[in-house]
Amino acid sequence: MVLVVLPVARLVEIVVREGAGTSKLILSSPEVRTAAVNSVGLSVAVMLLAVPLGTAMAVGLRHSDVPGRAFWRVAVLLPVVVPEFVLGYSWTQAYGRAGFTDALVGVHWQGVLGPGGVLAVLVASTAPVAYLLAAVGLAARAEPDLERAARASGASGTTVLRTVTLPLLRPSLAAASVLVFVLSLQSFAVPQVMGAPAGFTTLTTKIYADLSFASDPLSFVEAVALALVLVLLTAAVVAPADATLSPRLRVTRVAEPAGAPFSRRPSASRWVAAGLGSYLVVAVGLPLLALLSAALTRAVGLPPRPSNWTLDNFCLVIDQRSIEALGRSVGLAVLAASVLVVIGGCVALLEHRRFGRGVATMSILTLALPGSTLAVALLITYGRWLAGSLVLILVAYLAKLWALAHRPITGALDRLVPEELYAARASGATRLTAARTVALRPMAPALLGAWLVCFLTALHEVTMSSLLYGPGSETLAVIVLNSQELGRIGPTAALSVLLTLLMAVPALPLWVLSRRLRLRRPADTVPDPTRRENAQHARARG
Amino acid sequence: MHEPVADHVLRVHGLTVDYDGVAAVRKVDLTVGRGEVVALLGPSGSGKSTLLHAVAGFRSPSSGEIWLHGHLVAAPGHNVPPERRDVGVVFQNYALWPHLSVLDTVAYPARRRGTGRTHARAEALLILQLLDIARLADRRPAELSGGEQQRVGLARALARRAALSVFDEPPAHLDTHVRGLFLEELRARQHDSGTAALYATHDAEEALGLADRVALLDAGRIIQLGSAEQVYAQPVDLWAATLTGPASVLTTRVVRTDADHCTLDVAGIEVRVGCRSPGLSDPAVRRLLVRPGWARLGGDLPGRLRAVWYRGPHTDHLVDTPVGDVLIRAPGAVPTRVGERLSWSLHRTWALAAPATHGQTGTQLRPVASTGWSEPPRR
Repeated sequence: MVLVVLPVARLVEIVVREGAGTSKLILSSPEVRTAAVNSVGLSVAVMLLAVPLGTAMAVGLRHSDVPGRAFWRVAVLLPVVVPEFVLGYSWTQAYGRAGFTDALVGVHWQGVLGPGGVLAVLVASTAPVAYLLAAVGLAARAEPDLERAARASGASGTTVLRTVTLPLLRPSLAAASVLVFVLSLQSFAVPQVMGAPAGFTTLTTKIYADLSFASDPLSFVEAVALALVLVLLTAAVVAPADATLSPRLRVTRVAEPAGAPFSRRPSASRWVAAGLGSYLVVAVGLPLLALLSAALTRAVGLPPRPSNWTLDNFCLVIDQRSIEALGRSVGLAVLAASVLVVIGGCVALLEHRRFGRGVATMSILTLALPGSTLAVALLITYGRWLAGSLVLILVAYLAKLWALAHRPITGALDRLVPEELYAARASGATRLTAARTVALRPMAPALLGAWLVCFLTALHEVTMSSLLYGPGSETLAVIVLNSQELGRIGPTAALSVLLTLLMAVPALPLWVLSRRLRLRRPADTVPDPTRRENAQHARARG
Repeated sequence: MHEPVADHVLRVHGLTVDYDGVAAVRKVDLTVGRGEVVALLGPSGSGKSTLLHAVAGFRSPSSGEIWLHGHLVAAPGHNVPPERRDVGVVFQNYALWPHLSVLDTVAYPARRRGTGRTHARAEALLILQLLDIARLADRRPAELSGGEQQRVGLARALARRAALSVFDEPPAHLDTHVRGLFLEELRARQHDSGTAALYATHDAEEALGLADRVALLDAGRIIQLGSAEQVYAQPVDLWAATLTGPASVLTTRVVRTDADHCTLDVAGIEVRVGCRSPGLSDPAVRRLLVRPGWARLGGDLPGRLRAVWYRGPHTDHLVDTPVGDVLIRAPGAVPTRVGERLSWSLHRTWALAAPATHGQTGTQLRPVASTGWSEPPRR
């Protein structure tokens, strides 16, 4: 409430106080209109490309006979682990003029700085989101019997996809579309890194420009007004979608697929692997390689040869300032993630008891609230006391990422079979003991996952941090962004590499841990009919 | 590839199917003739579903061959996809598509044959009428009861017009009336396509009552294959005996044998009973199977009533005798109380082979299945 509603109310108040005339003037200026059109057009285009891409990956990887499936399932998520502005920056290093491909084979993509490049990087960074939702939608049906039934009724593989698999996936795909649209609309770093140099502005970059460079009071009001426009655009898409979709998406029991629906030609699986491989090389592999090479190369423009390699760039950037920033980033991220998992758990529990339905809906809305808007709102509400302090950034993270922790925890709670808890109670466990002994175990992966997602997102965060930081409160991501705007290619690349590696530090042990948790499943090949019936009862009741 | 003679619908030869690296089906040989219903009877995890999935084309064999109607459909490296096999499948949990209405579900196979929407729906409606569920045509699966879902699953399999129908163990008993309708329809089609059925179940009563022949499965192997009467009255070993129904085992000595009778020594009394087991000439102590109907209450053998179960049409009596516990089924209850002495007589028996080396599926088998059947019926 204090975190979100009050600040947004202040936004509205300012715009109202400034009067309709000023607002009208701002909103009718051609620059603002261009930015708005760019934002919406970009988001629609990203949605139209990323959702089919993510769906194709999910469907392709569903078969267990794809060579190296376990590897690919992690690899397609790689773009999420790399901060999106680092990904964008590395694309410019890989495909831009004097970039990696230019130096090696003399080919570069003129449009990598501009709308085309922004679009490509946003598609690459949001496709994993669509992939995840589609994969969860597919996994919601543990048994591939529905596809088998279609095959046994005479449908070929592609007909099954058209008549059974995709229609059943519709709610998941709709949700993925909404999410990808909102993420693109809110994205700030990629348009800032790749679009701004080419004069391509969006609402988010305009807000940033208004707040950081202009001293004109009118530009502050413009930022506030634009922040509100962003909220309205988001709400216009999210509100109807959430109302129609959430009841259908909520009650799904995710299970590991019991196996491929049917065996298929080995060549098809090889094609899936080959397609994924080349996509990942183009989208992530080459750019990151280019980034690494830029970080290691002595001077810009030199060919990436061992004789030109040096660690100078790393030595240059590892100074007092960036080490402090690194400490702040990690500290903030750990604190935010830990607090959020606890808050998320409490809200989910409340919601489970039908008390906090409103709280839950609000937490979803915060996720949809654009980072730029939230930052501006927090700044004008609490800026008087907290401007430029780490506390304000932490508050912003908590408000923004709340829903990220809340969603997976609620999902895990929903998937608990009530009978299992009743059975524990009937066996003499108290409410608390039952929760600890029966519920905590299956929920552990969700809690871990929620913590990890919050941690990574907080570490990535640059939209709000770049608006809220002050002297002595820069996060590492902000330093990378600033260094990039100064055009220091080598140091920026070195910092980006550091930031990316930082993600791997907590990700690795947690990933191993979650694998261990998952391996504890009973290894029976035959599904236990009573368990399935329970799940069906639970589904019917939900 | 063609077989020279194809007088059966399905022929499985030396089939082995791996499931996650473990052989779920091992070297199975099986044929299903025209118009024949064959049941696969075995406990959970015995490989019934895997065998059916291999026949339907969802799983490819690691060795062996599957022939349908004289065409080779599966061999290592050769796998005809399910849609091009002449097999209709009724799924374990019916596998109804949540996004399609009942009518469109049943019209689906015809649509895949290239029939237009109107004709396919008309055809589907006929099948729905046949199974007495035409009133459900516009419903979605979520709006159907369990029994109705079962009928829709059957209707879709019928609409496939396949030579072989495959039933994956239904979680509940098939409604007897619906099953009758379905089999009747299958048999009515025999004259044009030679329709046959392969039916997996863990329920002995269902398997014996339904099938022309029964295959007993354990740990992926076929232990015995024969008519329902054969597998019930002449099981190959104790495990097979317990799987197919209540089995009492007498430990006694055979005094002598002649033609199709043998004389047993029961607590010093010589009893002559019907017994056609091969290899009874060895007068050693052996284990003899007694089915509930093979012994009667009243006679000259001593015993003590240990327990009584009233089962409606008949009553089961567990009698403690000098040669082991015997389950005797009688139309009504005897006036004897539990613990009191009574007399009984034996009319038929079957010599069991040495203790089985299979039966690794973990099912705990008892010589006397006091609950009546090897697995209690599920609700």
